[in-house]
Amino acid sequence: MLEIRNLHASIAGKEILKGINLHIGAGETHAIMGPNGAGKSTLSAVLTGNPAYTVTEGEVIFRGKDLLSMSPEVRAREGLFLSFQYPVEIPGVSMTNFMRAAVNAKREHQGLPALSAGEFLKLMRAKRALVELDNKLAGRSVNEGFSGGEKKRNEIFQMAMLEPCLSILDETDSGLDIDALRIVAEGVNKLHTAENATIVITHYQRLLDYIVPDFVHILADGQIVRTGGKELALELEQTGYAGIV
Amino acid sequence: MNKYIVHTGEKKHLVISHVSDETAQWQIVQEADSVLTVHLFCLEKDADASHDVVLDIEQAGEHAETYIYGLGILSGKQHISVHTRVRHSVPNGKSNQLLKFAVKDEAKGAFLGELIVAPHAQHTEAQQTNRNILLSPAATMQTQPQLEIYADDVKCSHGASTGQIDESALFYMQQRGIAPDVARQLLLAAFFHDVLTTLGEPAVEERLQRRIAEALSAPSANSAL
Ligand SMILES: Nc1ncnc2c1ncn2[C@@H]1O[C@H](COP(=O)(O)OP(=O)(O)OP(=O)(O)O)[C@@H](O)[C@H]1O
Ligand SMILES: [Mg+2]
Repeated sequence: MLEIRNLHASIAGKEILKGINLHIGAGETHAIMGPNGAGKSTLSAVLTGNPAYTVTEGEVIFRGKDLLSMSPEVRAREGLFLSFQYPVEIPGVSMTNFMRAAVNAKREHQGLPALSAGEFLKLMRAKRALVELDNKLAGRSVNEGFSGGEKKRNEIFQMAMLEPCLSILDETDSGLDIDALRIVAEGVNKLHTAENATIVITHYQRLLDYIVPDFVHILADGQIVRTGGKELALELEQTGYAGIV
Repeated sequence: MNKYIVHTGEKKHLVISHVSDETAQWQIVQEADSVLTVHLFCLEKDADASHDVVLDIEQAGEHAETYIYGLGILSGKQHISVHTRVRHSVPNGKSNQLLKFAVKDEAKGAFLGELIVAPHAQHTEAQQTNRNILLSPAATMQTQPQLEIYADDVKCSHGASTGQIDESALFYMQQRGIAPDVARQLLLAAFFHDVLTTLGEPAVEERLQRRIAEALSAPSANSAL
């Protein structure tokens, strides 16, 4: 699914990723944990092609193709999805128009015809139900005036709409109340299949109680310093990063 | 020069949708209780178009209302300047101006907004807003609000800003698979939305949306859009 080899990246001349190696297979769930400022969001930004970052070394193969040579929108259409740590508000662009553009861009890429208005609304309704997203929110501008938790729920709604092959969830749990966390996590689990994969970036075990990872990686100062099973997250909860980093 | 009087109690809607002369000037006097709404659309296709639009409006009778809504997409080597002068010569008048421009390629735009409230024109309520987006590094927009307020019991406000497309919104949309040119169109449609809704007619609004989309893709193929 995804193969990251010796990935180095910098922003504003400052090296943030210092040689990341990571292999993610179909059907797997990987958790990435690590101290603030370690480079977790930078890794998501680089994988999704955020132009603010420069890749200085290394390669990334996504489903057999060179990911880094693709434009951000092509990476998305190829099945890469990021649930943003800080989702962006887009005043004046309705959720409906936004999602229609996104879904149909992907369908066109796959050689499928655009959805009819009726089919599209039906899809919206079904996916909204999956994460229990309020109809009122779906009727508003993208993320505009959404609470922190509502924005996160909206990210997972979009993930459900786009059915990506690889989803990166960057601190999707932050800002969610206890019930919302469960609902959103259950939504993510329902979307999980043997053909897709998920990277969960989180600081807390609580999310991993719901979305159980096959592997846990610890990212510190731009490198993966330790990899383990789900018990590594529990160990972290006990010891903090002091014993590991 | 086009001269009009909007007579007492009259409602007039002026739509300027094609500016074809070198200079396009309107001089309008409003009598008491009249309402004037002006819609100005600068969506010229000619890459060398050079226009000077002047809207000179005087409220000569009390309780008159003036609304000016405008939008423009300037492209190629166009030079478009829009000059509004709203004169509140008597008390109890209202005016509201909302003008938005997107400037691409090497086009140059200018907005001069004069708002004059005479010494005895008390209880005037006047607003002026000008927002602009530059779509290429070579595009320029000059905005100059000029308020001359000589009465003291008035409510007047103005705002002017020139910025760029929100890069983080653009990336967010790209991350969902939306091509950058489509994303820009959605963002610009949003930018112009509040001007378009003042038309109050969905059919006209839709026609303009199409003209906006055309103007955004014309004329130079190598532009940012
Ligand atoms: N424009 C910039 N210029 C310089 N440094 C930057 C810039 N943007 C981000 N950084 C730095 O990059 C480092 C990595 O940031 P990143 O957001 O990837 O961390 P993170 O692991 O996601 O942290 P958190 O857990 O707080 O979300 C930080 O030290 C940050 O200050
Ligand atoms: Mg982060």
